Amino acid sequence: MSDIALSPSTLPPSALPTSAVPALQFIDVRKTYPGQAQPALRDLTLIVPRGSRTGIIGRSGAGKSTLVRLISGLETPDAGQLLIAGQDAGQLSSKARRERQSHTGLVFQHFNLLAQRTALGNVTLPLELLGVPRERREARARELLAQVGLGDFAGRYPAQLSGGQKQRVGIARALATDPDLLLADEATSALDPETSAGILELLTQLQRERDLTLVIVTHQMEVVRAATTHVAVLDAGQLVESGETRALLGHPGHEVTRALLDAHRPEVQLAPGEVLRHVNLKDLSSQTLAALAGLGARIVLAEAHPQGVDTWLALPEAQAGLLAALNLQAVGA
Amino acid sequence: MSWAEIWPLLWQATLETFQMVLPAALMAEVLGLALGVLLTLTRPGGLLANRPVNRVLDAIVNIGRSLPFIILLVLLIPFTRLITGTSIGSTAATVPLTIAAIPFVARLVDGALYSVPGGVIEAARAMGASTGQIVSKVLLPEARPALIQSFTVMLVNLIGYSAMAGAIGGGGLGDLAIRYGHQRFETDVMIATVLVLLLLVQGVQWLGDWAASRADHR
Repeated sequence: MSDIALSPSTLPPSALPTSAVPALQFIDVRKTYPGQAQPALRDLTLIVPRGSRTGIIGRSGAGKSTLVRLISGLETPDAGQLLIAGQDAGQLSSKARRERQSHTGLVFQHFNLLAQRTALGNVTLPLELLGVPRERREARARELLAQVGLGDFAGRYPAQLSGGQKQRVGIARALATDPDLLLADEATSALDPETSAGILELLTQLQRERDLTLVIVTHQMEVVRAATTHVAVLDAGQLVESGETRALLGHPGHEVTRALLDAHRPEVQLAPGEVLRHVNLKDLSSQTLAALAGLGARIVLAEAHPQGVDTWLALPEAQAGLLAALNLQAVGA
Repeated sequence: MSWAEIWPLLWQATLETFQMVLPAALMAEVLGLALGVLLTLTRPGGLLANRPVNRVLDAIVNIGRSLPFIILLVLLIPFTRLITGTSIGSTAATVPLTIAAIPFVARLVDGALYSVPGGVIEAARAMGASTGQIVSKVLLPEARPALIQSFTVMLVNLIGYSAMAGAIGGGGLGDLAIRYGHQRFETDVMIATVLVLLLLVQGVQWLGDWAASRADHR
């Protein structure tokens, strides 16, 4: 028996693993809006792996909205290339662009549902635009509404739904055309924390079941932590760092990332000489707790995520340097 | 005058009012809707943004709306004669009524469509909807309650305008009130006419409000 190592170049193109073609590839993308002095995106280079759940995070003005508008085909790059599933989005004919758009599902912060259509009518809209016959599109919409847990709400109008339910309708609508890319633009920012968690869970579950690429654009690190496998941090129209979520949040290399991690710093009274530290613990086992006690650290806030336990600790400043030595995943000072 | 004498007059005049107002309302709605949609689409930032076209349409609408109806009635006599072959009578009155109502409807439609949230339009665009699809499947249906309201306001206005059509022999309720009530001092005819007009306007408004609220799911 011998190991046969095949390099991608020796394989016929069809045999290449599909993950070899990224879902999205920004190559030196520049975009300036008319009348604006500063470019919204300045030579942005970024890869979103196919089948990943990628978080794109940044403060307001980082270029997130522009990125969404480029991916959704509402804008084209001034310079550079945006490849969507290997296709140059800037070079598409308007017919090809519409075709591309129908394969990209969008979920919006404010849902953007049609107020005069029922939940069912909203979910059928993308199919109606493609000319799918009524019976087929309604059957499909009912199926999708059931999948997002709104099987009994098909006849309700958006005004009769809660925020979380509206967003579920928005997600069902985004999936109507069976897209390969799902783009959630601040999809949980208008929702309370509990509802947000439910929506993120649903998105994660759908991504797994349907083998989608999910792009979550957000300004909240909790969202990235809770739902993504990969993360890219944007600032001032550029990528500042990117990588696998767990690794990057464990060792943030850039001050912007650290600032975003600290954004939900809890308000707490510190004793003299005490400092607040943000860490991602693997667990809250008795071993971990004992180690923390040994440092004189107290847990201020702990939140469990699939990736570990997001924890804020108050501890004597002199001990703070020892946190890393404990093999805890320190998330940032 | 006795009621037996007033009734046939009133009935006849009401019919004439309908004969003038309804065809005018329907034509004005179709043309005004088209003009209103164009106004919205050509606005800066609109789906077919075009400043020069928008300016011209806007000016036409403003001029049309600022002309007093009685002046328009007289100005349009040659045009009316060209279209209907006569410049007198209720058919002839339909022409100036339509022309007067078009810019009015256009402005109201423009306002109604403008109130459709931009996010909804962006969502449709991102789904790959064409401009025609956005108009027919998003803008007009989403603005339906406001469009029904604007049709109602236009109808009430036309009923008012139609009273002036008496000036060109258009007949109708306004004409009846002037000829009998004012010129012949038949106060009871005047009162009866005003009452019918009042009921008509109330009825139209009530019906419009009802239809608009039924159509509104917000």
